[in-house]
Amino acid sequence: MNIDVNQPTVSLGCGQWCTFNYNSLISSALAVLITIAVAFWIRSQLQSGTPTKVQAIFEWGYDLLRGLIKQNVSDEALFILPLAMTLFLFILVANWLEFFPLGIFPALHAANADWNQTLAMGLIVFLVVQWYSVRVQGWYGYFRRFTKPFELPIPFRILFIPLNIVEEAVKPVTLSLRLFGNIFAGGIMIFLIASAGYHLDFLGPVPHSAISTVLLGVWKAFDVIFIGFIQAFIFMLLTVIYFGMAREGLEEEEPHRPSELAAGRTLTQIQEGTND
Amino acid sequence: MTDHGIELAGALIGFGLLMGLGAVGAAFGDGLAGNAFISGIARQPEAQGRMIPWLFTIVGLVEAMYFINLAFGFVFLGQVR
Repeated sequence: MNIDVNQPTVSLGCGQWCTFNYNSLISSALAVLITIAVAFWIRSQLQSGTPTKVQAIFEWGYDLLRGLIKQNVSDEALFILPLAMTLFLFILVANWLEFFPLGIFPALHAANADWNQTLAMGLIVFLVVQWYSVRVQGWYGYFRRFTKPFELPIPFRILFIPLNIVEEAVKPVTLSLRLFGNIFAGGIMIFLIASAGYHLDFLGPVPHSAISTVLLGVWKAFDVIFIGFIQAFIFMLLTVIYFGMAREGLEEEEPHRPSELAAGRTLTQIQEGTND
Repeated sequence: MTDHGIELAGALIGFGLLMGLGAVGAAFGDGLAGNAFISGIARQPEAQGRMIPWLFTIVGLVEAMYFINLAFGFVFLGQVR
């Protein structure tokens, strides 16, 4: 048994930096096309008045995401919504593509089973979060954020600087490795289950392919549909949470913001930095 | 015993350790999440609907570590042909 973990590549003749994993390019392009097609289809389903079923589902998800952003980041940060929703939909489509028997197309695999793909998305989130942090806190607040925890005296806070830098720099790595590891391991398990029929000789006259097919169906229903959805949701959730972390230290400097008082939080909750 | 045999044996032992210890960690984390979930239901049965999505989110986060282990275990195993 030999599992090939290397992706097939195509080189443009200028070394490592322009060698592409063409199967990831093709698969993610397919996922992008399907995502756009789904988005336009949803757009065509929208109507005012009584919502259609699709519209109701997506409005529910939209409200959920908007509530998450308002709760974790702020009321003015709704520009995150298209970013997070696009990431969620794209990752979901790219994961669910694996439900189809991609093994018969050598140029296709689950697009997120390639670290380059997920790292690109993780880095985009990371850069936008840094930009948001600078824009909201200014350069002083941005660098001050690396001296968490704020309640300690200054010398101890300086000791925490390397720790905070590592914590920040490791965010895109963990964000992308989580998705990559799940989808990649799922693909390997599909390969193992599909080839397990050859090791079931003791079962006698039962056709091996039938057992493999049933096992594959069960595994795909769990791994591709369920884990794929959970991972897409976690990627979106962590994106929103990272944006919330980019605001750390902001509330302590201006604790009596009128918008928060109007939103129903008591003064004690604001001073303690807790939500509801 | 050839060099390749030693390499393969080491890779397989490492793979086994990776899988076993990773499974211990994932199971421990799942247990903690389930414990908190059941305590939450016992204390506040009407909040069950709001807890279930977050339970699965946490379980997904915890088990992601194990799946990363699995993936990289196969990557390292693939280095030994």
